[in-house]
Amino acid sequence: MRRAVGLPWQMLRGAVALTYLFIFTPIVITALVSFNSINQSKFPPVGFSMRWWDDALSERWLQPLWFSVQLATLTAVIATLLGLPLAFGLTRYKFPGRNILVALSLGPLALPALVTGIGILQFFQTAGLAALFGFPALLIGHVVICLPFSVRTIAISLRAMPAKVEQAAANLGARPARVFLEITLPLIRSGLFAGAIFCFIQSFTDYSVSLFLSRAGMQPISIAILSYIDYGFTPTLAAVAVLTLVVPLVLIAAVQHFFGIGDFLYGARDSG
Amino acid sequence: MSVAALASRPSRTIIAWRPILLVGVPAAFLLFCFVLPNAFLLTSSAFKSESQVLTNQLTTENYGFLLGRAVYRGAILRTFLIGALVGLLVVVLSYPLAFFLARTRSRWKGALIALSLSPLLASVVVRTYGWWVLLNREGAVNDLLRATGITSQSLPLLPSVGAIVIGLTHSLLPYGVLTILSSLNGVNPSFEKAAMSLGANRIRTFFEVTLPLSLPGIVGAFVIAFTLSISAYATPAILGGPSTATMATLIYDFMTSLADWALGSAMGALLIVSSMVLLVIGAVLGSKREAL
Repeated sequence: MRRAVGLPWQMLRGAVALTYLFIFTPIVITALVSFNSINQSKFPPVGFSMRWWDDALSERWLQPLWFSVQLATLTAVIATLLGLPLAFGLTRYKFPGRNILVALSLGPLALPALVTGIGILQFFQTAGLAALFGFPALLIGHVVICLPFSVRTIAISLRAMPAKVEQAAANLGARPARVFLEITLPLIRSGLFAGAIFCFIQSFTDYSVSLFLSRAGMQPISIAILSYIDYGFTPTLAAVAVLTLVVPLVLIAAVQHFFGIGDFLYGARDSG
Repeated sequence: MSVAALASRPSRTIIAWRPILLVGVPAAFLLFCFVLPNAFLLTSSAFKSESQVLTNQLTTENYGFLLGRAVYRGAILRTFLIGALVGLLVVVLSYPLAFFLARTRSRWKGALIALSLSPLLASVVVRTYGWWVLLNREGAVNDLLRATGITSQSLPLLPSVGAIVIGLTHSLLPYGVLTILSSLNGVNPSFEKAAMSLGANRIRTFFEVTLPLSLPGIVGAFVIAFTLSISAYATPAILGGPSTATMATLIYDFMTSLADWALGSAMGALLIVSSMVLLVIGAVLGSKREAL
């Protein structure tokens, strides 16, 4: 293709710049109103104050934030532990009912999460499992909506790795369990981490399922923010909102630094 | 059956059991925690309920109630209007961005792609509050309008369907970019080269070659934005009000303050059916991709 310059391309660049502006304006504004000196989310901010940040960093908000981190971490771990055998079974074996299981494992993605939430709410309530509401029910609900991400990401890794490597190891006499642990698992490592991160973020930012499965004192941060809605959007909430952005950013930076998921996310396939 | 016959079979039996052992636990989990609750919801939507307790009387009353009252019918229509508008806006806004990201030779390409998807890291709740700050009665837009003398009084920009559409478009834009970008990446560049070498200019090449070839991405982005919009709760809850109730906010009201689970379930079932219809339409119009 010819080098893309000229008027149409310049206009496109202008449109792109405006789109980025549209994407980031509300987020930047949210961050800025947290520095208001008055207890009103004014933009541009009136004066400058850090006191709303003191509020945001108090127990009242740190408790649900920490709750969300724990919930998202455990969700990512369990969704990966369930997603790995599921993806392995679906990609490596043909068996009756396989197609149904494929549809089933992607199902939570196709149905509205909100409906899954009220389904679990009613089912647990009726089945006499109301004691589960709070952390256990939230964990179950989050694993359900995260499983498609986990299965899909791991299945992509399993399909991308050369199948001959597993065969070679088996031909050399390694038992299936050993082939899996010593050949397959190391090769799909980046896919496993990427899937777990998708799950963490999906869980951390979810509100649709959490809306119906929380209970007092056991609320994720998104629900804690949402249930504050009647008091309006105070600068404290703006500060809390920025705090919730920091968690996934730190997580991605840390995992990228220690384990390297970049090759998965950018689709580079090193078949080494 | 003789012992010898049994002895000759184990190896086969083990092979057949391995996938079952692998997928057994996850499948049971999905069955118990996803299929059963949804089946329960569909069932309870067809039963009469008396103050949160379901009776065993089959009825279509719940659906009749929702579709018969003007206020609920209005909310359902409003939900679909919002979904269609958001789908359209997401496609219109994300296509140029995705096209730029697919074609740019900037060394910042990777960073620009990451940047366009980064809002997904923030909860919709967080991203919607920015719009509330801008659009509320004492918000920045009204301040600006008054300061410049365009209006003398604050405009009631909230709650409104328009604000909900803007908020949802903003939160769903990354999905549109992702879908259209992957579709554009799949367009074979030699078709574009062929068109240009036959004398078509870049604009004609785009409209007659690139755009039609990326149609599955456009359909996909529209369907994703549509389905996620109609089941979104936070945005209509923050930027809307009782006058702009949607299916999702009604479900929340039915399930919590009104405590009418049968109606909530019926509305949820309508939401499931709508999503399914949209996904099927999308699958028929768009390309068929391998799911796993």
